[in-house]
Amino acid sequence: MDGIGTALFAVLALGLVGGGLAVVLVNRITAAALFMAFTFLCNAGMFLLLGAEVIAMFQVIIYVGAITVLIIFGVMLTPQGDRRYGLFFQKQTPVAAIVLAAVAIPVVVFAFSFRDPTGAPHLAPGDLKALTTSIFVDYAVPFEIASILLLAAMVGAIVLVKRESDDAAGGER
Amino acid sequence: MPVGPFGLDPLIWAPLRLALAVGLALFLVLNGALAQIYLERKLQAIMQDRLGPIHVGPQGLLQTLADAIKLLAKEDVRARLTDKWFFLAAPSIVFAPMLASYAVLPFAKDFVGVDLNVGVLYLATLGSMTVLGIVIAGWASNNKYSLVGGMRSAGQLISYEVPQLLSLITVVLVSGSLSMVQITESQHDFRINLFILPLAFVTYFIAALAETNRNPFDLPEAESELVAGFLTEYSGMRWGVFFLAEYGEVTVVSAILTTLWLGGWSGPWVDSLPILGVAYFTLKTYLIVLVFMWIRATLPRFRIDQLMSFCWKSLIPVTIANILVTAVLLLAFPTTRVPVAVANWLMLGAFVVAIPLLQRRRLAGVRARLRAEAERRAIAV
Amino acid sequence: MTIPLAAFIAVSALLFFVGAAGVLVRRNAVVILMCVELMLNAANLALVAFSRRLGLIDERGSVFVVFVFVVAAAEVAVGLAIVLAMYRNRPTVDLDEVQQMRG
Repeated sequence: MDGIGTALFAVLALGLVGGGLAVVLVNRITAAALFMAFTFLCNAGMFLLLGAEVIAMFQVIIYVGAITVLIIFGVMLTPQGDRRYGLFFQKQTPVAAIVLAAVAIPVVVFAFSFRDPTGAPHLAPGDLKALTTSIFVDYAVPFEIASILLLAAMVGAIVLVKRESDDAAGGER
Repeated sequence: MPVGPFGLDPLIWAPLRLALAVGLALFLVLNGALAQIYLERKLQAIMQDRLGPIHVGPQGLLQTLADAIKLLAKEDVRARLTDKWFFLAAPSIVFAPMLASYAVLPFAKDFVGVDLNVGVLYLATLGSMTVLGIVIAGWASNNKYSLVGGMRSAGQLISYEVPQLLSLITVVLVSGSLSMVQITESQHDFRINLFILPLAFVTYFIAALAETNRNPFDLPEAESELVAGFLTEYSGMRWGVFFLAEYGEVTVVSAILTTLWLGGWSGPWVDSLPILGVAYFTLKTYLIVLVFMWIRATLPRFRIDQLMSFCWKSLIPVTIANILVTAVLLLAFPTTRVPVAVANWLMLGAFVVAIPLLQRRRLAGVRARLRAEAERRAIAV
Repeated sequence: MTIPLAAFIAVSALLFFVGAAGVLVRRNAVVILMCVELMLNAANLALVAFSRRLGLIDERGSVFVVFVFVVAAAEVAVGLAIVLAMYRNRPTVDLDEVQQMRG
């Protein structure tokens, strides 16, 4: 199991970082959307490796099943012409590089030098019971508020995109 | 050094087991599709007073095999203006989740790929991935019929996923588990969930019809309006993969219905002869598949606005009310399932009676408004 | 030996900054939304890893992941709506060309 676990981790880590890089670097937006879905799936695999099955399932349902589809809709509904300038030779790239380096270097150094605290208890496999207890008992009120946020976002999105009543004659019934 | 089964190194055993499982699932899918296509053609022929396939083999039994060989031998065509990677990826994106679903289906006692403790959630997850492939197929074909088909499909699948998941929740509430095996075992001695939760069965069934793009919800591939919807540009084995995925999906959905509501492998004498469970499971699954076919031969197709309003204004409120009633009754009467069953049957009756009435009233309203508008325009002209 | 927590955190940090670089460098609004999703995913990975490996009592860390899911879904819905509304007013999704708010 250990050897397989490590091998899986290596594959998934490569998939995550490689997929993320592909989203940023790939020129065609359709391909970027596919790579994004791939990255999400790899992340779900990471969650499974950590023993968080329920979170992994939610990850796939929400990210692959809903968010990727929405983004592909966005790709379809907007024009995807060629960019008029290169990816790395724009006026904001130097500033971006400096800002990013200033934040990234300390964080990445910390992340790579991070050592597991010894003696930390490992949870039992499976997170179904613990997670649901946390959500529905400890965090019941935030959970309800989150549902209101979703409703507000849904209504807001519809209002933003809905055309004025002139050309809506054939639409709404 | 750890040693796996058969004295193999686990590093070798794990991929081997994966290959075996995928092979077995593929075998099941292919055979199921062959059987289902033959069954479907024969059944529709009987219902429409035709003969159906009769020429190849006895009673036309080998017809689907011949068709499959024809598909395999066809030239692999890709139109020049299609989006290459999307076009190639779409069939696999639709097919792979369906194949993965077979891992948790409990065919009989101790005859299940893996007994996940989140099995129902796993199946829901895989079901939600199909929509991605269909949208991609519609977009990649670079064809307006395909695009409309893909768009319709995205709206339909995302909408009907909601009542589908909500119907599953009631079963989970009653059974107290997300594991397919434990849900089956909770329905021993003919106390199957169909008697307790008939409304959830009906709502799940309707949502499943929509999720698998079957009649009367086959708008994404409505041949009278959209040529073949998102399948228009596909031919040969790529088209075949989509087709296989559709039939496999029907089988998976029927197997879920069987496990969650019809008691899965349980049946008479199954305790003394566990292998009988496979027979019961297959029988029950194909019973539901037959109902799918029956509906296909009987019902006309929905219009897109009817489809959406039926989902959001009828199915989703009903399933939410069902969850509320079931949860409250289970908390109030933790020992007996009778109140839940009574409430559910009553709600099913109300649902069946109310939906046509409400739809008729809504349609009358729509017609009145359209008529008024037409008159206004006539006066204006 | 199980996989050390540090490995997960390192992957998470890398993914986060890949996403951040994407947000800063790419100019297409839809791609920027994708990169924001990548960053949220990286945060999720870190949260789940800490929660699974260091959680003493319960899955509090994973609960925050559920909230991140909610926020991500809301963000994509509203974000795409804004992009589409913007595209309807001026036919561009290039953020450099959207400068009505510039003084």
